[in-house]
Amino acid sequence: MSDLFSKNYFEIFNIPVSFDLDNAQLSVLYRELQKEVHPDKFVNAGEQQSRLAVQVTSLVNQAFETLKSPVNRAHYLLKLAGLDIDHEQDTTMDPMFLMEQMELREEIESVRSKADPLDEIDRLMKQVKKMLADVMQSYSSAYEKEKYSEAHEWSRKMQFLNKNTQELDDIAVAIEDELLG
Amino acid sequence: MALLQIAEPGQSTAPHQHKLAIGIDLGTTNSLVASVRSGESTTLKNDDGNSILPSVVHYAADKTITVGKAAKDQAIADPHNTVVSVKRLMGRATKDLKTLGEHLPYEFTGEETGVPRIKTVAGDFSAIEVSADILKALKMRAEKTLGGDLSGAVITVPAYFDDAQRQATKDAAKLADLKVLRLLNEPTAAAVAYGLDSGEEGVVAIYDLGGGTFDISILRLNKGVFEVLSTGGDSALGGDDFDLAVAEWMMAEAKITELTPSLNRQIITEACRAKEALTGADSVAVTLELDGNNWQHELSKESFNDLVSSLVSKTLASCRRALRDAGIDKDEIKNVVLVGGSTRVPVVREQVGQFFNIEPLTNIDPDEVVALGASLQADILAGNNQDGDLLLLDVLPLSLGIETMGGLAEKIIHRNTPIPVARAQDFTTYKDGQTALAVHVVQGERELVSDCRSLARFELRGIPPMVAGAARIRVTYQVDADGLLSVSAKEEGSGVETNVTVKPSYGLSDNEIEGMLRDSMENAKEDMDVRKLREEQVEADRVIEAIDAALLSDGERLLSADERIRIDQSRIKLAEVRKTSEKAEIIKQAIKDLEKTCEDYIARRMNQSIHDAMAGHKIDEYTADKDA
Repeated sequence: MSDLFSKNYFEIFNIPVSFDLDNAQLSVLYRELQKEVHPDKFVNAGEQQSRLAVQVTSLVNQAFETLKSPVNRAHYLLKLAGLDIDHEQDTTMDPMFLMEQMELREEIESVRSKADPLDEIDRLMKQVKKMLADVMQSYSSAYEKEKYSEAHEWSRKMQFLNKNTQELDDIAVAIEDELLG
Repeated sequence: MALLQIAEPGQSTAPHQHKLAIGIDLGTTNSLVASVRSGESTTLKNDDGNSILPSVVHYAADKTITVGKAAKDQAIADPHNTVVSVKRLMGRATKDLKTLGEHLPYEFTGEETGVPRIKTVAGDFSAIEVSADILKALKMRAEKTLGGDLSGAVITVPAYFDDAQRQATKDAAKLADLKVLRLLNEPTAAAVAYGLDSGEEGVVAIYDLGGGTFDISILRLNKGVFEVLSTGGDSALGGDDFDLAVAEWMMAEAKITELTPSLNRQIITEACRAKEALTGADSVAVTLELDGNNWQHELSKESFNDLVSSLVSKTLASCRRALRDAGIDKDEIKNVVLVGGSTRVPVVREQVGQFFNIEPLTNIDPDEVVALGASLQADILAGNNQDGDLLLLDVLPLSLGIETMGGLAEKIIHRNTPIPVARAQDFTTYKDGQTALAVHVVQGERELVSDCRSLARFELRGIPPMVAGAARIRVTYQVDADGLLSVSAKEEGSGVETNVTVKPSYGLSDNEIEGMLRDSMENAKEDMDVRKLREEQVEADRVIEAIDAALLSDGERLLSADERIRIDQSRIKLAEVRKTSEKAEIIKQAIKDLEKTCEDYIARRMNQSIHDAMAGHKIDEYTADKDA
């Protein structure tokens, strides 16, 4: 089994190591792979096979979860490139971006005081998603040029923006719950 | 030249022998069993022609155990000894009962943090034992109807059941001597029942409101693969709560302040009747017999809707969260399936339809749909339907975490992560020479450990003494396809496998289960050893059958002549021992030996199939896409 467990996540799905990835295609491959390895396929094969199937499926799930999320995929690629991003010391960020973030956060925090908070959330969400798409583009081109530390900074920006979308979602749900009573 | 015919004459299991497998819906209010016969899934009926078995067990002083309708009929006259809605107690500790149980008419024994036992005239019983009695009744019905021994069962649980509740369900099956092929989430089972029929593709929502639990699941259906995208709900919200809301209204209207267990039962039974009557009427007369006087009141549909509206809203809030977790917009939902008897309540149907803006599907009986889906899965898992292109990919319903400093819960595996899943985490020592470490595993979404559900505490022992911070202990949390957690640990520096003793916070230990089994055997005059021998024989057959099939398909391609000889020898040895030995231990050892011999081969096969699947895909990508 050492064979499979030593493969990187891209190799598991037999796809090129790249940030640009078609999620729909990844999902197709994921389902195909599950048809081969899922423990349900080994219910009658004895305990040893079942155990192995659980381990392999766990690995496949981990690979899928990592690759399908752009932020996780971006980080994973840098790890593969040899960057020790789990223990990074340098966390300085582009001051312009930080300014933007501060303004965005203020806007997010004041959403509730707006006449139609849900509309405002939609507007901000579109804005953040647009920024996210741009940042992903920049990451991709930095990564392809093997400018890893630059790519790393873009990936941190992705994280920030991702967090923004989550916050907006949280507020939307809270507001909707209140409306329901 | 490979030896193809190795099996002993008469002992070879015919490859396409039909195995008897069942699907069980172990419900709060009602339970059902279904099976696939001649390619068709049907629920199995009792002698009276009923497929529904009320999940009620009555314990009599002479130790007679009655299950179902006959037990339910005794609920008012003998509330202390008639156990209803036991599913609500599964995986719960005595101290949890306070939040569930003001209305439970039983007396409990057991320690605060232990498993509560219901006091009856026939003895004290845990929820696991009561559930096992229900399962036994269903198993007997199935064996009688199908005419033979069962090879296994798929048992459904609410998607929102936590680890302790799932484990309790599995333990109940063990006590009932049922082999669990899989614990299947109820909404997923319902999706299978609907999806397989129609060959539907796309994203669907399953809204499942049962007697005591509510589940919402969002699934993507694609070429026989049912991928759960998210799941949510409330493991303590169901039709029973509708009854309670009506009961409280009745008590307020009738100015009842003191409740005897018998009156309590009477009120709840009447409340339930009123709820059901309002499905087809605009108003219903509610009556009670109070100290010989008849009390009567009118309950309109409108007032009823008011009484339950906050409960329905709670379910819709869960729907919204599930959609968000799935990353799916409401308008992407192609269909909404209603499951569970409580979805018969008109206001539920209206509200759910309004929320999703779709007319919900109800064409399969909401009481039967879960059992039917489970039986389809059981049929495939038993190996009856080799060509059946069905695969269910489920998720972890609630986040798993561990306790950190200050009583905070740190999440290790987030909710809605596809299962099986494994995560490793590294720990170190904080004192020189420290040889043990305590870990507390919890489940839930809240920040504070005290707000989460305690699953297990375990200690890592035998860490080699080192200076503080030098040890690196890797703890691996593994959740299997049933959603059950297991933990292992290893000191990475020394390679010492640390001894992990997981002590479940609730639930029964293996010893307790074994003890109960032994007790029940004594009554049935069976022998524990016989059962163990039988289990090992079945496992041996399974292993032999699997290895034969494997060798036949790729033994020549993947094995050298030497390897093949070793495996054949080991396999013949196991077949011999299986036939002649009366000792479970000896068969077990022979199984282990064969598995050891096959270890590399098994791994090689798995690798090969992955390789083939992914390589094959590149070539026919285009055609596959065209088909889609």
